[in-house]
Amino acid sequence: MPELSDIANQFIREEIEEFIELPEEIERNITLFSRASPLMQDIAAALIDGDMTTVDRLTRQALDQGVGALEIMDDGLIAGMGIVGIKFREGYVFVPEVLISARAMKAGMAHIEPILAASGVEPIGTVIMGTVQGDLHDIGKNLCIMLLRGGGFTVIDLGVNTKPDEFIAAVRENDAHIIGMSALLTTTMPNMARTVEAFKDAGLREGVRFMVGGAPVTPEFGRDVGADGYGKDALACVELAKKLAVEVC
Amino acid sequence: MSDSDMQAFQQRLDRMAAIFGDIVAHAEESILTRCPYRNRFDLCTALFRCSNQLPTDDGEPDDLACGHDGKFDYRSAWESHPRAMNRTREKIVRIRRDAARRRRSRREENRGQ
Repeated sequence: MPELSDIANQFIREEIEEFIELPEEIERNITLFSRASPLMQDIAAALIDGDMTTVDRLTRQALDQGVGALEIMDDGLIAGMGIVGIKFREGYVFVPEVLISARAMKAGMAHIEPILAASGVEPIGTVIMGTVQGDLHDIGKNLCIMLLRGGGFTVIDLGVNTKPDEFIAAVRENDAHIIGMSALLTTTMPNMARTVEAFKDAGLREGVRFMVGGAPVTPEFGRDVGADGYGKDALACVELAKKLAVEVC
Repeated sequence: MSDSDMQAFQQRLDRMAAIFGDIVAHAEESILTRCPYRNRFDLCTALFRCSNQLPTDDGEPDDLACGHDGKFDYRSAWESHPRAMNRTREKIVRIRRDAARRRRSRREENRGQ
């Protein structure tokens, strides 16, 4: 039976000791990390810490050293994210920290994705996501992005305050067919309609599908702005994206 | 690459999706009482102004503490007034109508040339 002291990485040892309470989760993580190589433990530690640069560098290094993509996913990225999930559930970290770790995971996955594609695991489609012009709220959008990526989509995140032209440029650049727009203010919600109209002006409306979301947005409002669907939360957003992908991807 | 590789990768992706799914499900619940922009140091990470933001005494001028007590669903503060929603709806109708008119006149111009 492996013990905590069998784990080389001190940060991981401390994380397990301080933040994991359920005996079966302690045992599972000790077993997992004690058999993981020091490099995989370092990747997991950097991911938990939200250190995107280090996850990026170590994942590249691991692949260069001949470590398999499955091992990197199992013992580095997924193992690290598993601990983040537990800490979130137990109230030791909150949404901002989870999103920082998810971004670090994405940096690692960027190196794995070509290997996945070569094995026949292709992304379901590309989604362009942005909070509309004038609006700086981004948490809901970021949760959607995290779940869309986990659900097998490639996501281009345009961030906040996204102008209609920026959505159009991103669709053209990435050959994307699904656009997700978020707004949290009644003053910025009309910019969803402006974006849809800008796609019509550019002759691109037929080839794309719009999904909208945000606290004040409703299904009726989605129809009013000319969108193709409304997601009330991140889970609904992924389901909607899958449905729209069948139509256009 | 073999089919078993593909299956193995797919299994890992499913596992990742499950972890993220659990996280989002918990987030949907936790944001009822704690603002999603509030980090573990109780600092506000929002890029916008909020009336709950308070200055901190940590010597970092850009840091803002979250002053919300978390005892009720703060999201009611985000709910839009029906009058504001109606104004927004009217604005959207105007935006779409004007855009359609603009496109129509452009088409007619092109036909005339």
